[in-house]
Amino acid sequence: MMQRLLFLVLACGVGLVSASGHQFALDHAPINLRDKASLQRGAQLFANYCQGCHSLQFMRYRRLAEDSGMVDESGNVLTTLVKDNLMFSVDKIGDTMLTAMQADDAKKWFASIPPPDLSLTARKNGADWLYTYLRAFYKDETRPWGVNNAVFDNVAMPHVLVGLQGVQMPVYKENEHGKKVIEKLELQTPGLLPPEEYNKRVADLVNFLVYVSEPGQLTRQQIGVWVVMFLIVMSLLAYFLKRAYWKDVH
Amino acid sequence: MSKLLNWVDARFPLTKLWNEHVGQYYTPKNFNFWYYFGSLALFILVSQILTGIWLTMSYNPTEEGAFASVEHIMRDVEWGWLIRYLHAVGASLFFVVIYLHMFRGLLYGSYKAPRELVWLLGMFIYVTLMAEAFFGYLLPWGQMSFWGAKVITELFGAIPVIGEDLVVWIRGDYGVSGATLNRFFALHVIAVPLIIVGLVVLHIMALHEVGSNNPDGIEIKKVKDNNGNPVDGVPFHPYFTVKDFFGLMVFLTIFSLIVFFFPEMGGYFLEHSNFDAANFLVTPEHIAPVWYFTPFYAMLRAVPHEFLGVVTMGAGVAIFFVLPWLDRCPVRSVRYRSNFYKWLLVVFAVTFVGLGVLGTLPVDPMLTVLARIFTAVYFLFFLLMPIYTSFEKTKPVPERVTD
Amino acid sequence: MSKETVDTQRRKFLAVTTVAASSIGAAFIAVPFVKSWNPSAKAVAAGAPVLADISQLKAGEQMIVEWRRRPVWIVKRTPEAVESLTKVLGELRDPDSQKSDQPEYVKNTHRSLKPEILVLVGICTHLGCSPKYKPEVGSVNDDWQGGFFCPCHGSAFDMAGRVFKGVPAPTNMQVPPYAFLDDTKILIGVNPDDDLSEWKA
Repeated sequence: MMQRLLFLVLACGVGLVSASGHQFALDHAPINLRDKASLQRGAQLFANYCQGCHSLQFMRYRRLAEDSGMVDESGNVLTTLVKDNLMFSVDKIGDTMLTAMQADDAKKWFASIPPPDLSLTARKNGADWLYTYLRAFYKDETRPWGVNNAVFDNVAMPHVLVGLQGVQMPVYKENEHGKKVIEKLELQTPGLLPPEEYNKRVADLVNFLVYVSEPGQLTRQQIGVWVVMFLIVMSLLAYFLKRAYWKDVH
Repeated sequence: MSKLLNWVDARFPLTKLWNEHVGQYYTPKNFNFWYYFGSLALFILVSQILTGIWLTMSYNPTEEGAFASVEHIMRDVEWGWLIRYLHAVGASLFFVVIYLHMFRGLLYGSYKAPRELVWLLGMFIYVTLMAEAFFGYLLPWGQMSFWGAKVITELFGAIPVIGEDLVVWIRGDYGVSGATLNRFFALHVIAVPLIIVGLVVLHIMALHEVGSNNPDGIEIKKVKDNNGNPVDGVPFHPYFTVKDFFGLMVFLTIFSLIVFFFPEMGGYFLEHSNFDAANFLVTPEHIAPVWYFTPFYAMLRAVPHEFLGVVTMGAGVAIFFVLPWLDRCPVRSVRYRSNFYKWLLVVFAVTFVGLGVLGTLPVDPMLTVLARIFTAVYFLFFLLMPIYTSFEKTKPVPERVTD
Repeated sequence: MSKETVDTQRRKFLAVTTVAASSIGAAFIAVPFVKSWNPSAKAVAAGAPVLADISQLKAGEQMIVEWRRRPVWIVKRTPEAVESLTKVLGELRDPDSQKSDQPEYVKNTHRSLKPEILVLVGICTHLGCSPKYKPEVGSVNDDWQGGFFCPCHGSAFDMAGRVFKGVPAPTNMQVPPYAFLDDTKILIGVNPDDDLSEWKA
């Protein structure tokens, strides 16, 4: 009884509370790495809107093509397709997805904070954060790019997707401490896409970034199923073996 | 085959060693769940060494290349992701197993005479393991790696007179840099593992010299059969080889569940901010050591004085060393000790876990009060032990093992 | 059957089964460790086909490009050099390239796709040194018709990389896979019947 109590106490202690630092509520990002079409759309969005400034220095085009279905029936990468849609410079299919922006220029144009590499952003910030961030830009005349972000205050990034989303305005409220905070954002000027469609596009982009942060995720889980099943069988076998020997003890 | 064995035995005590330590090492037959963790710790040590060697084949221990080389392992090296996860998850599970292994010692008085040396060697292993984990954590060269190393090496600066120079000497540079990384790499990969392996050998030898303790805390060697073997013991092989094998399979199942499905463990095994490369111009929002150090980190923060905080933190680890001499109760196992002591152990466990939880959280006035209370209880548990254990109302200890 | 023998049999059966299952498990866990030694995606990317521009290559000249960490020579043979290939047949150890390593499509008298362009892996088949290009007649010995001479242990090859008799090297020099993108561009590391569309600008 004592042992169980002790163990329970220890086990409970392991369930930890983590303080969230965000005032603005994060939306849940619909991630599905099995949706290859979504990954392709996300890759295309990235190449067209993000890669001008942001690199994915650990992601190779070839790997992306293989994992997102840009292959023929024999599994060979459709190199020309990839080059036409995702590669706009002299990169080769085995290269990593770098940005054309030079580091020195980046430092100059962005006040010494160059646009960061995004290979691991999904592991660092989480999918929900990214999904909310890309939809939380709002108009702010006081900022250099004319926009601010409800999730990332005073962000140095312009709202690259403003053409698609449109312009949002913040709605403020007072929180428990009497401080003015953003309650929600409202669309003031519509963009090319209606909000549901924009959300889907952002979901594709975030899906893509989650994939990029760990391309082997799906494989890892798939293999894991087999490994755990095998070990459960081994545990059962080992249990019977143990019992067979211990039957004559006590 | 037996001819070959005879040839070896004439030149090397192979069969003798096997019999002494495995084939005819009589182990108490009443070992319970708490006794799995020693062999599991040994397995994890081997696993860490193997996966560690393999990681070293692709890892680049320079400031410029370290972070990228880890991602290279994760993405470009075939099965590199698995080797990395085995190593990172293995490190955390090593501490889970070790803490449970140590707690078993508290439960059954395994540190008491004649096993004080087993306990001391074990404590040396624990401290060496902490150093190994600390050195290893700098290697990915992420934000938390860098800033964690910076904060901890900074602590040495609190030592009067020599502190500042000591910090520079440890780092090999004016701040944590490539020089620090290179030497931590050398220490982590070869120096400290050699020490650990050596200490583990001594630890097991010391144990086998006096024989294992058991949940009833009685000496099985007191009652022997006609062959001179303890009646309450069974030979380690085959009884405990099969039992520990079962324990290993269950452990591997849990290990695999984590490695394949939750390798980050919510940011406690692989911390989120460590997916950012080290940047000495930007401090992460919240610096905390990895979870297995947090109980002692909480003590450090609880004390409002730089040097005394460091001393307290060190004392929190060091006090375990003298436990065999603090505990004056003649009864070993908690089963036959006072209810008072049983509850005290629960309180101690809660305190240790509580401190651990607090160590992961950001500084907060209310939580600091709690940390101070926990720290006080923690030390009082040990410091008052010579007094309250002298007057314990213990139950009669049986002659033979139970269940 | 007594209880003891049944138990022993059961123990033996379970032990054997467990050992067998564990061996399977051990084999599976060994796979990642062994496979991790294969060239990484980074190495494979670095080993991608290499483009060589021979528009400036004059007759008799040799150029060197790197492919998969090996030197690859491209030599524009003079008409005399091409003719010499038949003159030395009697002195060659393996004139028909039966034992050497080259793609099927260069198993001909000039060991190349085009008679005037020679592509070779510039490594001596003896112990791995890089031989010297010696095109001038009579430059290595009096009968020398042009070819490659390895200074390390004296192996000699003709103007198609075929090994002479009586030298330490056992086989003709290796020819890598290659294809012509057009008259002035050679792609090392692919075959002529591969899909070359991605390199054709």
